[in-house]
Amino acid sequence: MTPPTVGETGFDQSDLGRSGLAAIAGLLVAWEGLGWLDISMFVPPVSDIAVAWWHLIGNGTLWNAGASSLVSLAKGFLPAAVLGVLIGLAMGRFAAVRHLLDVWVNVLMSAPLSALVPVLIALFGVRDTVVAATVFLFSFFVIVVNTVTGVRGTDRSLVEMARSFGIGEAALFVRVYLPAALPAVMLGLRMGAVQAVKGLVVGEMLISLVGLGERLIYYGNTFLLKELYAVIFSVLLVALLFSQVFQAADRALIRWK
Amino acid sequence: MAGVITPAQPVSIVVNGVSKAFGPVQALVDIHLTVRAGEFLSLIGPSGCGKTTLLKTIAGLVPADAGRIMVGDRNVTGPGRECSVVFQDFALLPWTTVQKNVEFGLLPRGVPAAERAELARRFIGKVGLGGFEEAYPAQLSGGMQQRVGLARALAVSPQVLLMDEPFASIDEQTRRLFQDDLLSLWSEERKTVVLVTHSMEEAIYLSDRVVVLSPRPGRMHQIIDIPLPRPREAGDVRATAQFAQLVDGLWKILKVLQ
Repeated sequence: MTPPTVGETGFDQSDLGRSGLAAIAGLLVAWEGLGWLDISMFVPPVSDIAVAWWHLIGNGTLWNAGASSLVSLAKGFLPAAVLGVLIGLAMGRFAAVRHLLDVWVNVLMSAPLSALVPVLIALFGVRDTVVAATVFLFSFFVIVVNTVTGVRGTDRSLVEMARSFGIGEAALFVRVYLPAALPAVMLGLRMGAVQAVKGLVVGEMLISLVGLGERLIYYGNTFLLKELYAVIFSVLLVALLFSQVFQAADRALIRWK
Repeated sequence: MAGVITPAQPVSIVVNGVSKAFGPVQALVDIHLTVRAGEFLSLIGPSGCGKTTLLKTIAGLVPADAGRIMVGDRNVTGPGRECSVVFQDFALLPWTTVQKNVEFGLLPRGVPAAERAELARRFIGKVGLGGFEEAYPAQLSGGMQQRVGLARALAVSPQVLLMDEPFASIDEQTRRLFQDDLLSLWSEERKTVVLVTHSMEEAIYLSDRVVVLSPRPGRMHQIIDIPLPRPREAGDVRATAQFAQLVDGLWKILKVLQ
């Protein structure tokens, strides 16, 4: 027989491939040109934004606001990830749990969560915790739903195979359901990470006025547009890096696809 | 229990008055069948005749509504250690290697890791996949994937091998080579084999007896003896007049049932 062909995985391509970088570079060049044409104060040249960004880093503004935001992000996302996966696994495996929680998860997932802001203020007051709470709410449900889908999508014939060898319930869960659900769980975490940054900005802008969200409101209200764009880019960067972390973890864990 | 992984004597299977319905659909009605110890028996019949259901009831994967099944001296109430199943769609864990897939069946039997690895390697070699231990299922052809399925089934040293259309999704050339390999493996390690197939040639080429089931609801229709001499894998059995007559005879039976 022919020698084994192991290792033919093609995972060196990232989301931000060459074409993605080229598209971003093209947009930035066009923006710079528009800025120099001085059409509107709302389109400052990219180079000016970069200078403003550099100043905001230099005087500590972005570090301070960013650190506060990252702490809220972590305080909201970590519990959402852990609880979301655990509850999703339980709902996926046990019909009783699913019947109990399904309707709530579906209602809250499709609800406009910003509408819950007054409730959150009543519960947590206008403090940092409320930002963590919005982060949690924004990211939790998509993690749950993806985890449930992953568990329930487990190939029936693998389960039957495992049973035919007399595998116990616990081992069946660990050795079949869990690995089968892993790609969907990772996707859920990645989508949850993106949602978490949305929740962060909503929480900081609408409720608490802290961190990067507070800076967005401040620079917006005072028409410091270069600084405003600098903060917006920073937020985008955080969201991108955050979801790239999960993409990398996904690749490291799921080599077989 | 000692000797969980040492080869054991083949055992007989006795199916006694088994019926099974899925909701309103009657799949099997009053099946009586004895598979002799060490016999190679095929189940054949039109699509939907319940042949796979019968195999899965013997495997303990599908509970019968009525009747009982004895595998050796065990009354079947669920999957048991005497039987291994080979699945039509291979049922390999896609996230792990050939080696770990073959080891999978040994896990619930508490075989120590080193022995598990050794047994898996031996059976991977026996099915002709030596060198592919670290490959993932997706890197193998269909025929090779089913060889992994067979190695996994054999690694637990079952007394009974239950095969559910194992060659259905494999191309003709690969299938013939695989059938010959299966026969020589079977002559090495004598096991009771029940094979579900829809191929008349396959049933006749491999089996000692062929059981024809009638279409829905599945009933025993006829049992045909296959007196072709063994070993068949070495010679040119398919080219003989006797083989052609047996295929023709089976076709005449099946034609009426369609």
